[in-house]
Amino acid sequence: MARRVAVVAGGHSKFGKRYDATMRELCAEAFKPILDEGITQDMIDASVLSYAASQFTGQGAGSALIADYLGLHEKPHLRVESACTTGTASLRAAWGMVASGLYDIMLVLGVEQMNRVTSAQATELMARAGDMRWEYPFGISFPAFYALMASRYMHEYNLPHEVLSMIAVKSHHYGAQNPKAHLPREVTLEAAHNSVPICRPLNLYDCSLITDGAAAVVIAAEDRVKEFTDEPMWIRGIGAGASEMMVQDRPSLTSIPGAKRAAKAAYKMAGLEPKDMDMAEVHDCFTIAELIAYEDLGFAEPGKGREIVENKENYHDGKIPVNVDGGLKSKGHPLGATGLSMTYEILMQMRGEAQKPSRQIDDVQFGLAHNVGQSGQFVNIFIFERGW
Amino acid sequence: MSGEKKELYLGYTTDKAVTPFFQKFLEALEQEKLMMSRCPKCGTEYLPPRQHCQKDLEECELVEFTEREAKLHSYVIVDFAPESLTSRAPYVVAIGEFPSGKKLTAHITNLMSMPEIGMTLKLAFDRIDEKKITYKWLV
Repeated sequence: MARRVAVVAGGHSKFGKRYDATMRELCAEAFKPILDEGITQDMIDASVLSYAASQFTGQGAGSALIADYLGLHEKPHLRVESACTTGTASLRAAWGMVASGLYDIMLVLGVEQMNRVTSAQATELMARAGDMRWEYPFGISFPAFYALMASRYMHEYNLPHEVLSMIAVKSHHYGAQNPKAHLPREVTLEAAHNSVPICRPLNLYDCSLITDGAAAVVIAAEDRVKEFTDEPMWIRGIGAGASEMMVQDRPSLTSIPGAKRAAKAAYKMAGLEPKDMDMAEVHDCFTIAELIAYEDLGFAEPGKGREIVENKENYHDGKIPVNVDGGLKSKGHPLGATGLSMTYEILMQMRGEAQKPSRQIDDVQFGLAHNVGQSGQFVNIFIFERGW
Repeated sequence: MSGEKKELYLGYTTDKAVTPFFQKFLEALEQEKLMMSRCPKCGTEYLPPRQHCQKDLEECELVEFTEREAKLHSYVIVDFAPESLTSRAPYVVAIGEFPSGKKLTAHITNLMSMPEIGMTLKLAFDRIDEKKITYKWLV
């Protein structure tokens, strides 16, 4: 029988174009609040570094570098890589090690530094996460994969682009209230709808950001939790799913099959349903991805996700608040940090520690993190439960 | 056959890892033949071709794919391209679905107006430069 595991602490760097730091300083910025809570290196048994793409920095053996920089060099460490879902893949790996009894206390730390290359170079590097033989030669970039989904979705469900822009408006509304966000500013519906095309039908405001940043959490086995906090966040459910490598091979482009499989597994493990969720952090690498997530997670029927958007049910005081930290769209998307940033945000919301009341969700008992890799080839979903 | 490997690559920006199996695909493509693969054990067909069957990992054989018309299943107009293709942008990438249900992803190169899902696409071939060849869609 696996032991229960809880998130007991978290830290988060400022997201943005961080030319003032390298990945080691970003990790220190995310780890420092944890040390300040009194969780010192000697209390941590092992660490996992979530670091998705060493090609951005050229730094290999990242977990050795970071463990050393943070004073964890005598403790076991490893690196996990699963594209944009690396953060929650790392958390899943660490959960398994703690639940099994291998370790009691682990640090899971995610980082990415993407702005050491130009946007075109970053787009090139991420395009290589597609099939190098059959997709990459046609210049199918990361936004292009989601634009293929958007074109099909808009056709099948007669979706106007303005609905996608409404998601961008919401993301920036909350990002503007998050001091950790990369692009903390509001955007109007008109500006979002009419911005420059990137991969039509997706434009600039449909796309997440190329961001530098780090986020970290400490997890503990159930019999050790009280040594660290009276406000633990239990890992109640975990689901992982996968989809076909080539987007053309998917049975449908209006859903991510791996996300549906992951959601089903996570709800089953948690013994909960979509209606039980008080908030969600979803992988809005593109606005269409957030809309599809509503449906894959069971918050809306297929083709009906727009009702959540149009009725503003996704706002902090709505039926299912989504990404009220700004999401990948406004807070930013440093690949390896993203899933752990989602986890951190849910912990802060449960503790009532969102930085501003205007984005604080009332009484969060259950929160869900939906973290997607590449264009859906791998997905991790976590359901967290307030433990006090 | 001279036995000497001809230097051929697929597409506009390319992975230069060309295996003997892929080389045969490229040499057929140069003759304007699109090859799929078929598992000799279970009969499963793959487009684009796989050297190994996904189900039983048997070595597949290359077989000519003869369908020539497809319907536009989805598309993207790439305005902001990866670094290696910035000079070609904007370009249109389309997934076409053949009557058999098989799909293929390639550029549409002769659009004069916005693409429409469901429109007919015709399979065509192109020599991009001395070493690069490709399949493509025409409307």
